[in-house]
Amino acid sequence: MFAVIVGCSEIGYHLAKSLLATGHEVVVVEKDRERCQLLIDEVGGISLQGDGTDEVILKQAGLARADVLIAVTGRDDTNLVVCQMTKHVFNVPRTMAVIRDPKNEALFHLLGVDVVVNSIHLVLASLEEGIPGRPLVHLSSLSAPGTELISVSIPSDAGVVGMRLEDVELPPHSFISLVIKKGGASLPTDGLVLEADDELVAVTMTGDEQTLYDILTGV
Amino acid sequence: MRVLILGCGRLTTTLVPDLAGNGTEITILSRDRECLESVSDIPGVEVVLTIEPTMQDYLQLAGVDTTDIFLALSDDDHRNALTAQIARHIFNVPKVICHLDNPQLQILYASLGLDVVGYSFGLLQDIRQSIEK
Repeated sequence: MFAVIVGCSEIGYHLAKSLLATGHEVVVVEKDRERCQLLIDEVGGISLQGDGTDEVILKQAGLARADVLIAVTGRDDTNLVVCQMTKHVFNVPRTMAVIRDPKNEALFHLLGVDVVVNSIHLVLASLEEGIPGRPLVHLSSLSAPGTELISVSIPSDAGVVGMRLEDVELPPHSFISLVIKKGGASLPTDGLVLEADDELVAVTMTGDEQTLYDILTGV
Repeated sequence: MRVLILGCGRLTTTLVPDLAGNGTEITILSRDRECLESVSDIPGVEVVLTIEPTMQDYLQLAGVDTTDIFLALSDDDHRNALTAQIARHIFNVPKVICHLDNPQLQILYASLGLDVVGYSFGLLQDIRQSIEK
């Protein structure tokens, strides 16, 4: 497979090396001369210095025959322009972008970017998971704009402990989709009673996470 | 009529005094404090200072969901292309105008249906027309 990566940020740098190591062909386009040279020194001439939104540079990089374009410049706006140019000028079959503003995910999908990776979400989820006593974890943004998948652990002193799931009043458009108890995961059936340390996977709207969290963990 | 302008540069400061007043409310969103201060006294003009003017939360704070016209006039083509498309596709702003300097991007985004303005855009058309004459 032939991949063109725009942006030799930390992500671009490590991605290029990892793709090379697994036998793929890679070209990296990077504006900054020193970042560009770093790759050349380490793995040879696979990087091209220049503006990754310049048609001439992208042509030199061989974009027209690329199987995939990956935009990781660190800027959402530049990544979008790179992907749109790749799609509409070079007809590359697959475009991928890493974004920083989680709210841009829906726009990128709408405008035809095939894979949108929400870096902030991924980092937040990993960090939140590791913070003691913080039982709300962002799992993912869903394809419907403004919908989030979260996970909440029920503390032992929460008001909902001992309640039946259908009696818990959730914010509108929020749903419990999975209940993970000590014995294993199950679908949220009627009559299911919540216990301390249950983990609930829920779909909610962006902005409603805190309300849902308060309902499920409030004393 | 409500107008939201991204970017505070010469284009914006020249345009705003003519546009403001007569029931036209203008909000300018920019990271340039000095430039915003130079236009903030004009009646009918509101300014929003932020270092992240392309983030959707700040566009909403500046009223992108209720504006009639969105003008992307910052000095950065990529910033303009992103915010113009947010205004158009996410917030359904009725009229979106996007300033672009780079002729390649002007052609791309005009073909994608944005209202593109830019010096070289007119220049390219002029050259083509002159050749055809």
